[in-house]
Amino acid sequence: MHRIERLINLIAALLDSPRPMTAEEIRRRIAGYDQPTDEAFRRAFERDKESLRAMGVPIEMRATDPFSEALDAYTIPRHRYYLPQLDLENDEVAALRIASEILLGPGERAGAALLKLSLDAPPAQAGTRLVWGADLAAEQPLLAVLYEAVTQGRVVSFDYTTATGAGARRILEPYRLLHRNGHWYLVGRDRQRDAIRAFRVSRMKPKVALSDDSFEVPEDFDAAAHLGEAWQIGEDSQPAVVRFDAGMRWWAEQNMASSPLREAGDGLEVELPVGNPDALISWVIGFGGAAEIVSPEAVRARLLDHLAPFLEATQA
Amino acid sequence: MSSAAPSALDKRLTRILLLIPYLLKNPGTTTGELAERFGVAEEVVSEDLQLVYVCGLPGYGPGDLIDVSFTGDQVFVDTADYFGAPLRLTPAEALALYAGGLAVLELPGMQEAEALRRALRKLGSALGASAGRESSVEVHLAGGPARHMEVLGQALRDSRRVRMEYFSASRAALTERTIDPWGLVATLGRWYLVAFDHLSSEERMFRVDRIKGAELLDEAAEVPEDFDPSSYREIFRERPEQEVLSFEISPETSGWFVDAYPCRSVTELADGWLRVELVAGGRAGAAALLLRLGPHVRAIAPEELREEARTMAAAIAARHRA
Repeated sequence: MHRIERLINLIAALLDSPRPMTAEEIRRRIAGYDQPTDEAFRRAFERDKESLRAMGVPIEMRATDPFSEALDAYTIPRHRYYLPQLDLENDEVAALRIASEILLGPGERAGAALLKLSLDAPPAQAGTRLVWGADLAAEQPLLAVLYEAVTQGRVVSFDYTTATGAGARRILEPYRLLHRNGHWYLVGRDRQRDAIRAFRVSRMKPKVALSDDSFEVPEDFDAAAHLGEAWQIGEDSQPAVVRFDAGMRWWAEQNMASSPLREAGDGLEVELPVGNPDALISWVIGFGGAAEIVSPEAVRARLLDHLAPFLEATQA
Repeated sequence: MSSAAPSALDKRLTRILLLIPYLLKNPGTTTGELAERFGVAEEVVSEDLQLVYVCGLPGYGPGDLIDVSFTGDQVFVDTADYFGAPLRLTPAEALALYAGGLAVLELPGMQEAEALRRALRKLGSALGASAGRESSVEVHLAGGPARHMEVLGQALRDSRRVRMEYFSASRAALTERTIDPWGLVATLGRWYLVAFDHLSSEERMFRVDRIKGAELLDEAAEVPEDFDPSSYREIFRERPEQEVLSFEISPETSGWFVDAYPCRSVTELADGWLRVELVAGGRAGAAALLLRLGPHVRAIAPEELREEARTMAAAIAARHRA
């Protein structure tokens, strides 16, 4: 028998059975679990449960004896298995199709989601040329559990390594999961520090725990205000001034209108809060000499140090 | 919950768990229609159906097994009421679709935006989001002012040529160009315009935030029939006419670098540094990348790239000395 048949039989039996089934019943009654030894059965069953849970099949444990706390039987609650009726209109399905197609990379998942949601809608029209694409790095493994935490309002704890390499366990009331600067961040109230903090998902260690503690998200919470450009992110922020020359000032006027700007000769100076000087240096390098770090002096010097290997080579 | 890439078995099982409810609701659908809807070959549908009718409930007799029957090429499924609705979305699927929707809403002038907002609201509330937390996910993509995105969106929809003023990092100056826009691609958190550039007579990726002005022209743009946004996922992706760069990066850098850039080859050296090879999207972009690596890069080839990086470093340093 194919393993996939055994998996379908297991889902069918647990969905259909009016009461939870013990492992012993599963072995005796469900086709595909007739392994020669107990050990072989255990291994097969464990592997199957793990695969199905990873696919989102809610296999849950119950006690067969109502007076015992031992959870010894398995069930798939129908209300947790079935997709709720969404009553999507056809134009809504069509819009979601555009949403699933724009994703570059994890499109397979969005495509699978769309199929589930569009069973009642007419099929897609083939042959439309795609002119948009967005790589949102949405295939990162931790995003799914963080998405659950943030949408269900559950407190998360995780080990986190900062940009400077310091590691610590954090307990966070997650307010927003946010993609910015090409990275995903979880923004919320850090319970130990009693302050709003942003954490980069790619720097979290894989063991993320959710608790059922409840919390309120402040009304009108503005996550973006706590998470600016890469150079703003860091624990100790200091002001820096960057000057754009005459040929580049339009860029600052167009893209940095919310920062304090002031005239400087025929150029323009912008004042920025900087928590991560290396990220500021990286950003200024991208302007190839059309932008200059005016202050702080230490970051200016650090930029020159950073470029030194390329400058020495010229003199040699 | 793991969200590692779905395996072939996952994908097949996911499809079968959809196929059954679909056929219960739409009896008599043909295998051809099923193949089209599920985006697979007709033989794949047939193999799936052959598997389904040997599955069912304990007992596994005629009334227990899922009943699959054919009339011509029409398919009917019975005795599988417990599979009457699809499996709910996994958090990874929901997030992918939700995030894709938010990216679409970042594009100005989309007719579908209003329907999409309605759909995302329904989606959020159906996914077990607590009240008020449906919009706990945000996507921000840097694209410069909306008016430029609007012009580019219009140009793409109508296949029209655009004249624009663009800051070129390699010339460190504004340039005026006529372009045939092919597509808009967001990567590393910002929008890029993929276009044929009549100034350099080649295909280019432009950062939308570095467009100072854009104007729709009356001329038609030439767009390749087979344009595929997914091949622009990485800026440093491989294209035949472009040169291969190679350099060595320090152990401190190697962890994130290899994840962030699609290297053609990676070789570990005796002292822990890595030798990487990748394909440049443009020499100016590659030079800026090398300068960002600073002391964490060495042994750069070809020589012209090292020269470009030195020139750029000299220009930046000149502004920071004194």
